Amino acid sequence: MRDLKHLQFFEDLLQSAHNDLVRKAKEEGRICVAYMCENTPEPLLNLGNCFGVRLFAPNTGSMDIATYYMTSFLCETTRAIFERAMEGGYNFTDCLIAPDGCTMMNRCAENIELRKAMDGGEHFFYEHMEIPLKADENGVNLLIKQCRNHILTPLKENYGVDVSDTAIRDAVKAHNRVCRLIQAIGEFRKEEKPRITGYEFAVLTLATYVCPKEYLIPKLEETLEELKDRKPDDKPFRARLVVVGSEMDDPEFIKLIEECGAFVCADRYCFGSLPGRVEIELNEDEDALTQVCRHYIYQCQCPRQMNMEKFYGRKVYVDEIAKEYHADGILYDQVKFCDPWAYERVTGTTALRDEYGYPVLSVDRPYNIRSSSGQMRTRVQAFIESIEIKKIRGEKE
Amino acid sequence: MEPLKNEKQRKGDISLGILYNEGKVRRRREWRGFKDTMYDFGKWLEIWGVMAGVSMSRGFLKGLLRYRWMVNYLAVPHMIDKFTIGQREETLRITRTAMKQIVKDVALVIKQCLRGDRRSGNDKNFSDKCVIVDENAMTSFMMGFPDLIALQREVPTLFSANLINQNSATHYIDVAQMFGIPGDVCPMPETELGVSIEDDFVVAGKCAVQVNTTCDGSMMGNGPIAKRLEQEYGIPTFQMAAPIRHRNEDVQEYAAVEIKNAIAFIEEKTGAKWDWDAYFAAAKRVNNTTRNRLEWLEINATPYPQFVGAVFSLYNDTNYMGNCGRSAEFPLIDDKIMKLVMKGYRKKHMMAPVYRHRCLIWGVQSQYAFDMLYWMMECWGVVPLTDMLSMVIEREIAEEDTPENREQAYYDMAYLSENMIMRNRTHGGYAVLLDEMWEYCEKMNADMVMLWEHMACKALTAMHGQFEEQARQRGIHLVWVTHDLCDPRICSRQTIRDQFNRYMRTVMREEPVDPTLEVLPDDNAW
Repeated sequence: MRDLKHLQFFEDLLQSAHNDLVRKAKEEGRICVAYMCENTPEPLLNLGNCFGVRLFAPNTGSMDIATYYMTSFLCETTRAIFERAMEGGYNFTDCLIAPDGCTMMNRCAENIELRKAMDGGEHFFYEHMEIPLKADENGVNLLIKQCRNHILTPLKENYGVDVSDTAIRDAVKAHNRVCRLIQAIGEFRKEEKPRITGYEFAVLTLATYVCPKEYLIPKLEETLEELKDRKPDDKPFRARLVVVGSEMDDPEFIKLIEECGAFVCADRYCFGSLPGRVEIELNEDEDALTQVCRHYIYQCQCPRQMNMEKFYGRKVYVDEIAKEYHADGILYDQVKFCDPWAYERVTGTTALRDEYGYPVLSVDRPYNIRSSSGQMRTRVQAFIESIEIKKIRGEKE
Repeated sequence: MEPLKNEKQRKGDISLGILYNEGKVRRRREWRGFKDTMYDFGKWLEIWGVMAGVSMSRGFLKGLLRYRWMVNYLAVPHMIDKFTIGQREETLRITRTAMKQIVKDVALVIKQCLRGDRRSGNDKNFSDKCVIVDENAMTSFMMGFPDLIALQREVPTLFSANLINQNSATHYIDVAQMFGIPGDVCPMPETELGVSIEDDFVVAGKCAVQVNTTCDGSMMGNGPIAKRLEQEYGIPTFQMAAPIRHRNEDVQEYAAVEIKNAIAFIEEKTGAKWDWDAYFAAAKRVNNTTRNRLEWLEINATPYPQFVGAVFSLYNDTNYMGNCGRSAEFPLIDDKIMKLVMKGYRKKHMMAPVYRHRCLIWGVQSQYAFDMLYWMMECWGVVPLTDMLSMVIEREIAEEDTPENREQAYYDMAYLSENMIMRNRTHGGYAVLLDEMWEYCEKMNADMVMLWEHMACKALTAMHGQFEEQARQRGIHLVWVTHDLCDPRICSRQTIRDQFNRYMRTVMREEPVDPTLEVLPDDNAW
């Protein structure tokens, strides 16, 4: 296929957390709200003059400092982020809002705070939120309280941000606009001959997490239009895969999978579009904050939600998207040393394979796939071959 | 600090290393002088009595043949011995008194498990009165159900089994890893999951309540365990959330509602009704426990600590977590221990020939699996004043039955639950793990911290650099002792001791008090 016109633009944005659009927003005097984890209600970070930036650490190499502080047994994502913070890579931010989601993410934020590694000015603040462990109304009530105390109030008190219901509704509207665009672009992945690769889609989606969203809209709209007329390759993919897993902010991982001949048709990981870029529906009967929180509680696919409805539901969800996106197999991944996904990956793998009948590859990966791509490539290639063999056998039978 | 020398000559064996050989048990019993040896031996026989009682229980033989973990219990008397190294007089009596109660408590749990187990005792009426709870759960939500049993089926399977036999968990760890769980997660929930995968838990109980106990791994292991309970054995499960940032005011209502919901679930599934009289009676006993523990800690802050080590920690663990005020026996044992503690304190009884350092034990510990804390005292004169797992409940809960207190009770139960042992320090923000450790150092007059670095405990190891930096700033000796909890294949006993030895020799430039203890051939021992 011909390259997408703006792919380079989006790729460039992912080379640094302090990218051109973030710089532009800062130059315009806007407030940069750094956050972590998919459990943080994103629209609340985009109120008024604020823009949310989810922390990531592209092109991570050495993690020596973070490893000293956190030991080599800690999840590489959290170590990479802490390392980048220590290097001064997030000094453009105006606050850090970190949910006590997984232990390691929490410790990463706490280390940053203790080392004052992100102090960006006199109003800079750190907030740690409790995130409900279950999807129920008690959890919704907790999240509302947490959002009030740890997002809305500090933003208002420190930066005079308008946190009214109207402001939240406006932020949700803007959020939904980006979600609609990403979902519309993602729809092309359902085609037999998709007009967008999994890698390209991962780049576009990731950009929406790490940049001020509204600056992306013109380019996303253009890309959507471009895709409508884009001629897909005739060469068929060897297998269509759903990638399911933890914090994955490295499109190179998707690229590696696709270089092996597969097509990543759906992305159920923490920086992905499912469910991260599902629109938030608001009605007029209830306040916006409650509805946003309810959306995050019930849409959430994080393994930390421990009630059994969610435990079973996460597997049902993967099955549903695998069907919807016509997947041949599922790749469950976790970043190395991640505890929640260590368990979820295994229970998901066995359930999807034994109960739902999918071929499943279960892998752990480094934060930066380029640090160890050979082993991963071999495993993905073998998996794809096994799917092909199954297909051939199925056809013969 | 200035060394504090014990003026009283120790009776009996002086060099304790000679008791160890390559075997499963020690070469012989320690000679403690006639009176103490007889006392010790008598109490050792009593443990066999408790064991014999278990062997008479319903379903015992079937259970022994069915469950791999049951065989560990043959080594119980040895386990008690490993916590009595070098002890004389009051110290010995405190240890024996506390441990007997702990053994009795575990024996009761084993009896309950086997009696209700569908595969062994198969007493259905009894089983219907049981609610399965997590081993690390604070069972406060059971305080008002006097007719129900909080069945801690993971305790005899994993927790106490590992106290008795250091290798008890390895098979189940392997099972979990063969299933696909990585080797870097905490081996404790991994073992629990391994037991479940191998279907080696007893199957008893009308329903189950799971809690996010100590860590992400613990929480995540619950899912597949509940799946087996629900889908294969028809035992409904309830997941009760205890907030992570438990010191924050804005999570308490959530926690209280979770308690209410758990109680409603138990009522619905078992048909039992919440009994406020039973609850407030239990609350009084919990407060009694808290008062006693705080007093023991106060004494440990003086130059003459009395109740220390793994037994102190285990006793608190048993008393708070599994019991949580429901047993009327614990206050009586508390009283006995208190008398001994006071007696020892009044006569300035010392537990070792010399106290060179006063040490706070912090971190996620493996001290239950062997005699590390007593060894530190005997080998190096380092007194373990208290440990992280014993620094739990710090305030009393409402204990009078009034309408206001009935509402407060949900918050109190939530408070107990949130502060369950270990998680109250490993979770809740760095202050409870890091800042408060230094405060305790000051309160306990400690000049040293021994930090158990459980390598797979991410909540703890993630603060490694902060501990190190702050210790340097404060001039407190911080000794890292790395281990892998219940997997001795990763860190053997001597590997653990060597870390301490190395610090004492190279940093402190000290020689051991008892050189025969420095290297012990006990890696094969139970």
